[in-house]
Amino acid sequence: MVTTLPKTDVVIVGAGWTGLAAAYELAHNGQRCVVLERGSYRHDATDFAGPEEHDELKYARRKEHMIDTPVKTLSFRNNRDEQALPMRRLGSFLPGKGLGGAGIHWNGQLWRPLPSDLEMRSHYTDRYGASILDGMTVQDWGVTYDELEPHLDFFDRICGTAGIAGNIGGEIQEGGNPFEGPRSAPYPNPPMKTPPPLQRFHDAAQGMGLHPFQMPSANVTQSYENPYGAQLHPCTYCGFCERFGCGYYAKADPIICIYDRLKGHENFELRFETHVLRVEKSSDGQTVTGVTYVDAEGREVFQPADVVCLNAYGLWNVHLMLVSGLGERYDPATGEGTLGRNYAYQTIAAVSVIFEEDVWSNPFIGAGALGMTVDDYNGDNFDHTGLGFVGGGYISANQTNGRPINYQPVPPGTPSWGLEWKQALRETYAHHVGIVCHGSSMSVPENYLDLDPTWTDDYGQPLLRLTFDFPDNDRRMAAWVLDRAEEIARNMEGVRHISTSNNAAEGEAYSIVPYQTTHNTGGAVMGTDPATSVVNRYGQHWDYHNVFVFGACLFPQNLGYNPTGPLMGLAYWTIEHMKRDYLPDPRPLMDA
Amino acid sequence: MIPFSRRAVLMGLGAAGLSAAVPGPAKAQNPFQRIDGRPWFFLSDAEARFFAAAGDTLIPGDEFPSATQAGVVDFIDLQLAGPYGQGATLYLKGPFPQGTSAQGWQMPYTPADLFRRGIALMGDSGTPLADLDAEGRNDAMTRLSEGETDIGPDIPATGLFDELWALVREGYFADPIYGGNRDYAGWEMVGFPGAHAYYLDFVEVNAPYPVQPRGIAHVPGTNRPAEFPGARRGG
Ligand SMILES: Cc1cc2nc3c(=O)[nH]c(=O)nc-3n(C[C@H](O)[C@H](O)[C@H](O)COP(=O)(O)OP(=O)(O)OC[C@H]3O[C@@H](n4cnc5c(N)ncnc54)[C@H](O)[C@@H]3O)c2cc1C
Repeated sequence: MVTTLPKTDVVIVGAGWTGLAAAYELAHNGQRCVVLERGSYRHDATDFAGPEEHDELKYARRKEHMIDTPVKTLSFRNNRDEQALPMRRLGSFLPGKGLGGAGIHWNGQLWRPLPSDLEMRSHYTDRYGASILDGMTVQDWGVTYDELEPHLDFFDRICGTAGIAGNIGGEIQEGGNPFEGPRSAPYPNPPMKTPPPLQRFHDAAQGMGLHPFQMPSANVTQSYENPYGAQLHPCTYCGFCERFGCGYYAKADPIICIYDRLKGHENFELRFETHVLRVEKSSDGQTVTGVTYVDAEGREVFQPADVVCLNAYGLWNVHLMLVSGLGERYDPATGEGTLGRNYAYQTIAAVSVIFEEDVWSNPFIGAGALGMTVDDYNGDNFDHTGLGFVGGGYISANQTNGRPINYQPVPPGTPSWGLEWKQALRETYAHHVGIVCHGSSMSVPENYLDLDPTWTDDYGQPLLRLTFDFPDNDRRMAAWVLDRAEEIARNMEGVRHISTSNNAAEGEAYSIVPYQTTHNTGGAVMGTDPATSVVNRYGQHWDYHNVFVFGACLFPQNLGYNPTGPLMGLAYWTIEHMKRDYLPDPRPLMDA
Repeated sequence: MIPFSRRAVLMGLGAAGLSAAVPGPAKAQNPFQRIDGRPWFFLSDAEARFFAAAGDTLIPGDEFPSATQAGVVDFIDLQLAGPYGQGATLYLKGPFPQGTSAQGWQMPYTPADLFRRGIALMGDSGTPLADLDAEGRNDAMTRLSEGETDIGPDIPATGLFDELWALVREGYFADPIYGGNRDYAGWEMVGFPGAHAYYLDFVEVNAPYPVQPRGIAHVPGTNRPAEFPGARRGG
């Protein structure tokens, strides 16, 4: 028997970055908001304090902050000729569960898209001719950089982002990223400190005529109050960042930056341990009526609402839409349908740099977003003529997360265990830095999301099925950008060994096993044409106008940047249009 | 199961044994010294010997402790008895067709089952690892890691090896509250200062970090001469 509750104005599925931002803004706009979160309550003050939080085994290896894989996972295959099999253990990406979502165990590398990224098909077509995009389903986002900028800037201030602006109102600034789009304001906080290896990267890159700058960081560098009144404290460089919550109140997260400032509000209610099963469609064919969830006691509950916001993380938003029949499923055989289309990822390659023994990296000293970066080879910041690919990536020497179980650098050619390994490890550990090539990921017809025909989750629903391999375009891109990174490494001072690795190396299938990034994009992409997008340029569903979709599932292809800056810019953009335009007069905001 | 002691297991390693391979910081003659006399939580006698022999092949002793000296077998025992061993991090719904390596773990076992079966099957098909000499153990680990050991159709040798090697390294480098990394063996070796992490003043300094390791339980490290931290590691 399903219990039906009284109707609310807005129901929000998921209490991560996007869900809590939507709840804050809409509650303050006068809407009664019910947030449904399948995980539990937790808080930085009571649950993430050191030294207990600084437990590599528990959080980085056993992944206690993350999704409960035995209950809910997805299935995976490289291509349609294979049988997808369940991802039985977390690996390649680490979605969250519980208050704050994945926003509590992220790194805080906080980027914004390039203006040309958002108009990718038009931009590349204009500059190089349409054939450069042959075989790819790359699209314009339907929203421009100038439209998003105020919202990207607002999220920088929500997080207290630390960095040096490279472009303020069109004026290039010394020390920042000269390739970025114009900013309306500088970063709210000064950049992070520069450890010895990052200084060496900086000097090498600068000597080669490149443009190094400190990575924009949501690890805060001084005491700071955000626009909602949240207090953040300076980062201690403790090195327990990615995969951990931050008990120092130094890494911006949705709990301290938003939830704490919202929790007492009369229009706000958050129900934990409520797993949303589906969105219910109305008989009018144009709207939905609310969502059905299962509570901690296993009871099914129907929560009626005027508006449904999907904020469950990109992958699970797509899953919810698939099991609810919201939109037409994409079929790669015919190219018909949009739901599940244009899944993309992040293309990661890396250079491992071992220094002479008088250069101390002390890699346990670090922060999630402690990096020295060049953006010269990202997006269309360089001429792609004759290169055979589109896109690119930033190259960054990062001093992050150097904890001793997961961080075990040894020189190339070292045996992988035994005495020689043991000795090499102790000679290398404190003298090593990694340089990452954080590459874009183009959408192609064969990479997509749908439902698995065999396996189910604990709620009896079919698993999401992921079909993905690195497109040839991205393999060429990664190899080329990796060569650039290696050149920089060769110019660094005091280097003893250099070796490279490339997840998208020629001939190697994408693997679900090693961690790469939790930057899963697409599947419910935004746009201006319902034939190639699930939601319109405001994040509103084309077919059901009272459904708004948030998160990286909106990206038509993935950027060479981490997704949270861009997806939070989009979230505030959507929220603004809900407040200003939709809620006063609910209707489709664009003609199909 | 007949209760048995850690001392009994160690004695069982006999002359082929691990202590012979270990030069000797005085404190480390008996890998199971501390909690000797108590039974294992999960392991059988033979399994404990397997893990001890495998552990000390993968991380042998030198001027820093071997895996067993650092408590890795105790660590593994606790891990296999606990949530990890019982499959708390795995989706284990069937069916279980074979997959590609890109698809990851597809074995129908919890980690505890995997090792219980794997070790038994390996024992059936040859001399137990603990009864081989050092060279024999090295060869056996090499074959396992390269997928050349036949453990029957259900258990890929590389799958077993990868899980084993991960556990051994976890036991050597995880916080000592889990039973391994005894006296901060692993952290001392690489120079990792542990859980009380606050480095604001040291971020830009190009020098070894001058503080002894300290774990979650606040027990200070004792091994490293205080006057020159980092002296005991290379580089
Ligand atoms: C290890 C790691 C490092 C990262 N580092 C960075 C970085 O440095 N920079 C960057 O830009 N990004 C980074 N990210 C990505 C970042 O965390 C995400 O982009 C961001 O959290 C997405 O916000 P969201 O609101 O879409 O989803 P989330 O924050 O994941 O929130 C979704 C919430 O929805 C809940 N939910 C899901 N399904 C249901 C359901 N059916 N019913 C009810 N509730 C449900 C989940 O439990 C979860 O709490 C990182 C991610 C990880 C895991």
